[in-house]
Amino acid sequence: MIGIKARTGLSEKQLFDFAVFRFQDAERAGYSEYSYWKSVWRNFVKKKSAVVMLGVFFALFIFTFIAAVIGKYDVRSLRIVDSLMFTRPGREFWFGTDNLGRDYWAQVWHATRTSIILAVSVSAGQILLGVVIGMVWGYVRSLDRFFTELYNLIDNIPTIIYMTLIALMIGKSYTIMACAIIGFGWLATARNVRNLVFIYRDREYNLASRCLGTSLWRILTKNILPYLISVIILRLALAIPGTIAYETTLAYLGLMDISTPSLGILLRNARSYFLDYPYLLVIPASIVSVITVTFYLVGNAFSDACDPRNHV
Amino acid sequence: MLKYTLKRLLQSVFTVLLIVTIVFLLLRLMPTDYYFTEDELIKLTDQQKLDRLQAAGLLDHPFTQLGRFYRQLFTKLDLGTSRRVQVNKPVVDLIASKFSISMRLGLTALGISLFIGVALGVSQARFKNGALDHIGTAYTIFVNAVPHLVSYSLVLTFGARMLGLPSLYTMRKPGPSSILPIVCLAMGSIAGYMLWTRRYMVDELNKEYIRLAKLKGLSTGSIMFRHVLKNAFVPLAQYLPYSILLTVGGSLLVERFFSVPGMGPLLTDAISRYDTNLVQAIVMLYASLGIAGVFLGDILMTLIDPRIHLGGKEAAR
Amino acid sequence: MKKILSLALTVCLLLGLGLTAAGADELTEFHTYALISAEVENFNVHYSQGARDSNVMTNLIDPLLTNDPKGALVPCAAKEWYSEDDGQTWTFILNDGMTWVDKDGAYKADVVANDWLTGLEWVLNFAKNDAANTSMPIEMLKGAGEYYEYTKALAESEGVEAAKALGLEKFLETVGISSPDEKTIVFTCVDKLPYFPTVTTYNGFYPVSAGLLEEIGVDGYKAVSWDNLWYSGLYTITSYVHENEKILTANPAYYNAANVKRFDNVVIKMVESPDVAFTLFQTGELDHVSLPQSTLNTIYNSESHEFHDYLTEMRPTKFSYQYHLVYDKKLENGEPDVNWNTAVANEAFRLSWYYGMDNTPVLARNNAINPLSCINYGYTANNVAVTSGGVDYTQLVRDELGLQYTDTYNRYDPEKGAAYKAQAIEELTAKGVTFPVEIDYYILGSNQTAKDTADTLSQVFSDCLGDDYVKLNIKTYVSNMSTEVRNPQLASIYINGWGADFGDPVNFVGQETYGEDNAYYSITYSKINNATDEELIATYKEFTKLVDDARAISDDLDARYAAFAKAEAYMIEHALVIPLYYMVEWQITSVNDYSKVYSAYGIQNYRYMNWETNSDLYTTEDYAGFAAAQ
Repeated sequence: MIGIKARTGLSEKQLFDFAVFRFQDAERAGYSEYSYWKSVWRNFVKKKSAVVMLGVFFALFIFTFIAAVIGKYDVRSLRIVDSLMFTRPGREFWFGTDNLGRDYWAQVWHATRTSIILAVSVSAGQILLGVVIGMVWGYVRSLDRFFTELYNLIDNIPTIIYMTLIALMIGKSYTIMACAIIGFGWLATARNVRNLVFIYRDREYNLASRCLGTSLWRILTKNILPYLISVIILRLALAIPGTIAYETTLAYLGLMDISTPSLGILLRNARSYFLDYPYLLVIPASIVSVITVTFYLVGNAFSDACDPRNHV
Repeated sequence: MLKYTLKRLLQSVFTVLLIVTIVFLLLRLMPTDYYFTEDELIKLTDQQKLDRLQAAGLLDHPFTQLGRFYRQLFTKLDLGTSRRVQVNKPVVDLIASKFSISMRLGLTALGISLFIGVALGVSQARFKNGALDHIGTAYTIFVNAVPHLVSYSLVLTFGARMLGLPSLYTMRKPGPSSILPIVCLAMGSIAGYMLWTRRYMVDELNKEYIRLAKLKGLSTGSIMFRHVLKNAFVPLAQYLPYSILLTVGGSLLVERFFSVPGMGPLLTDAISRYDTNLVQAIVMLYASLGIAGVFLGDILMTLIDPRIHLGGKEAAR
Repeated sequence: MKKILSLALTVCLLLGLGLTAAGADELTEFHTYALISAEVENFNVHYSQGARDSNVMTNLIDPLLTNDPKGALVPCAAKEWYSEDDGQTWTFILNDGMTWVDKDGAYKADVVANDWLTGLEWVLNFAKNDAANTSMPIEMLKGAGEYYEYTKALAESEGVEAAKALGLEKFLETVGISSPDEKTIVFTCVDKLPYFPTVTTYNGFYPVSAGLLEEIGVDGYKAVSWDNLWYSGLYTITSYVHENEKILTANPAYYNAANVKRFDNVVIKMVESPDVAFTLFQTGELDHVSLPQSTLNTIYNSESHEFHDYLTEMRPTKFSYQYHLVYDKKLENGEPDVNWNTAVANEAFRLSWYYGMDNTPVLARNNAINPLSCINYGYTANNVAVTSGGVDYTQLVRDELGLQYTDTYNRYDPEKGAAYKAQAIEELTAKGVTFPVEIDYYILGSNQTAKDTADTLSQVFSDCLGDDYVKLNIKTYVSNMSTEVRNPQLASIYINGWGADFGDPVNFVGQETYGEDNAYYSITYSKINNATDEELIATYKEFTKLVDDARAISDDLDARYAAFAKAEAYMIEHALVIPLYYMVEWQITSVNDYSKVYSAYGIQNYRYMNWETNSDLYTTEDYAGFAAAQ
């Protein structure tokens, strides 16, 4: 047997290098730098329709500002002209006029802006509050009874009582109603989250975590939350058009202050006229539909993308 | 399990009473001018208004009134009489005459929408991204985007003028005149069931055991119904008893729109007319039904999915 | 589709016209509707105070008197009535053959004079009727107030049951009412009231049989419902589903059935809103419908619409609307709003509004097609009082003012308005008033119609008077006008309407006097008694004197009305209150409104009796003809 040394004629030092030892390298496992959120985004982007819809929504929102600028009439200085009432959309009035002869274009875009801001803030608030409370409710056994009773208490007193009382005594302004809607809207999300947490709570991997002494918060966010994300995102996406619809019901019951027009109020007013003048209803309804569609598709796509099993 | 049930039952009774007390006190916060109609407010002097309120016992301290209410309830099982909606009619009779109508309409609509909604949702999940999926999505969007009142107006117009169905609900011909209200009630529910069934089914379809079942050669149909639906249905099942019980409540918009003499508009009417006895009775009814519904839903959930455990800390693993 | 339909309709109409000389037949069954929000709340006619109940009850029980289509008093349960002492006491003689029946028409008891006594005792008894409908009896009947206070004190000291158990003894001792025999009732009034009979058309003076009270008890009558009520009127209720439908059937035992024309059945459907009503009308389930704004506009503007020729205008409702000015306004911090108070006290300022504002856009909110039919030049409503020569009181006022209804808004005079505006600016700047003067106008926050009217109003102020002169601030209140706005006196103006309680101008003009306790508007709205401006107070005192002079005339009704007309004209000429509009809406109908009871007071306007109907709809020309014949 001839050795390597003899074959190549190199010394030990030339043939061998000390391997560099780094402690962190020894810790590295897995096949790649897997980042959950990066993966979610990558999956989401793969669905072209959803990305387009997201773009549409932002374009819509920005357009509400532009529309005010390019429109012929300023929403603050609309004149009532009886002879022009109920004119159909045409060259002079791009969206026609309402029952007082006022330009509808300006009103609709102003209302859209108000509604979108209200809907997004209310939904975000509702979901955030609902998820946090729902997770704690579903996971911590000793609190289950307390929260269930609290839920029963609040849920079973018809919201209409609260809303009427608040509207009658505190006021009907936007901020108040928004806070009131958040204040009672978190219930549904919390219950949904709680039910799901129930299902996953006693799976073996959670038992293992508990045995290992993992803190509550870490279990909730790292073990359970990922299973809930798809449902949460879908709820968030649907809460936005849902808020607009709820707003319409409140307006119908007379609990909204109409001095700031919103899509809900426009829809309620248009309802009495729409058999004769459908454009008064079709225009705001189409905008609400566009918002609903975008959020539904975006929500669905995001929700699908959030499921880690889709990430491979 | 039995101990848990009993404990929860007792607690529920306590909760219902607590709810009624809170509502009672909340109602006393409302300004008393709500007690009078518009005409009365114009014509009555302040002294006359005070006289009327005194005669109705509304000027006493809220806690005195509360005491009176409970005494009446427990000794005579009497919930009082309505003060404005149907003057001096006992609230129990008032509610009894209405809730069966709401329940009948509601249960029919629930049955229809559950059946159709879940079936469509399953098909949507099965043929995900196919034509049916998109049509279903479009329908859900339409129902959600258009405000309820508008969709009801459309249903009324087309149903009444094109199909010649009766426009208003009438007790003389309950069958045909229920069709339009039931269609309206079911429209939204179908969309809801479709959407959530699809969501839960899709989530289930991604799990490994389904992949294993497919590898093993099980037919899609059997996978869908025997495995996926059963698991996906669990979160839906939670709401089912609650929904069934709450059909008693009726739908405010549908009932008012078609003049159905049901429970739907009763609560809002009673609140806006400050008909306190009626509001309390209705709240008591809804609260009991709601709590019972949630409880039954939890039980149903454990029956379908044995991995779920109810109970307090003792039941924890 | 619509064109074919209307063509077919026209052909049929022509054929029909050719085949029958006269129009189509009368309706035997009448289908009408009411809004669910106006559903009947109770069947006890003495307790209910709203139109929603009274509109139905008026068909079920006959009062002493009722009205005719011109508003005059005609016999009903009473066949004659008279006063021998200028209105201090009034005697009514009842008809023969009147009976009480149950809902199926089975005999229960005879109608006797005692029934009115029982009814009035019920109203004035604090424990039985909870102080409802007491204002007019107490105001007019001698001893009524005392009896009421007596029952109230009894209820407080000995309990409610003691007061409920009262019969007629104490009542007959205290109150000025008696029945010398079974068919006669004698009322004694607090003063000489020539208009007392008009009050008998109201809820407070309806009868109830002592037999009914015996049968179901006091608590039973408090909770009386359609199935245990006793009927004496034109119809009985044979079917009732709350918030769904009710059916009135002609009372088979009605004593006067031979002489009045009634429907066999009246079906009243409850609907959610006027739009649903219109859909029902189109499917033929209703015989008339009141038109919402957009539908009216569509039909009017489209010549080929099937209903284009059938648009008819309703008669004005019984309310008369004005701008009520507040003479003691406060700011939100409780301090008096000196700027407004000084401005409004100035007559030139007020007259610049009276002459300078073209209110047509505001009128158009009621009636977009023909706003000028809503013009109101006076304060009192129509048909409240008629002279012996058949001239309506409002015409007397217009004669005094020199204004008549023509086809223009001829009160509006921009030159005069501008002249008064200049004068006001001069006089007020000298007093330290800053322009523009801010006008605070409050509306209910959730009411879209009120908001539309307020926006229109704001524009009228701006266009006619100028933003440099006045500025309207639209403010909202949350739910309750009296606690949020009226009591703290935060509003500058109110737009309000008043409907008559009885048939005399004092019911209107007497609400605005200075320094009188029962002048409702002065006390609750205008707060004139707190004003400090001397000129203003002098003008009001002069007006009050004219009213009091007129009030004192009780023997000669014509002279009385003429004196009231003078007082009212004085009030308007000095713009103490500024007249605004009547409500006149549009409808499509099979009923000739000019054949219905039309009264400015009482609850008789919904009696389904002697109506002229046409199973084809009435056309616009038909109605123009009826109106002209008035």
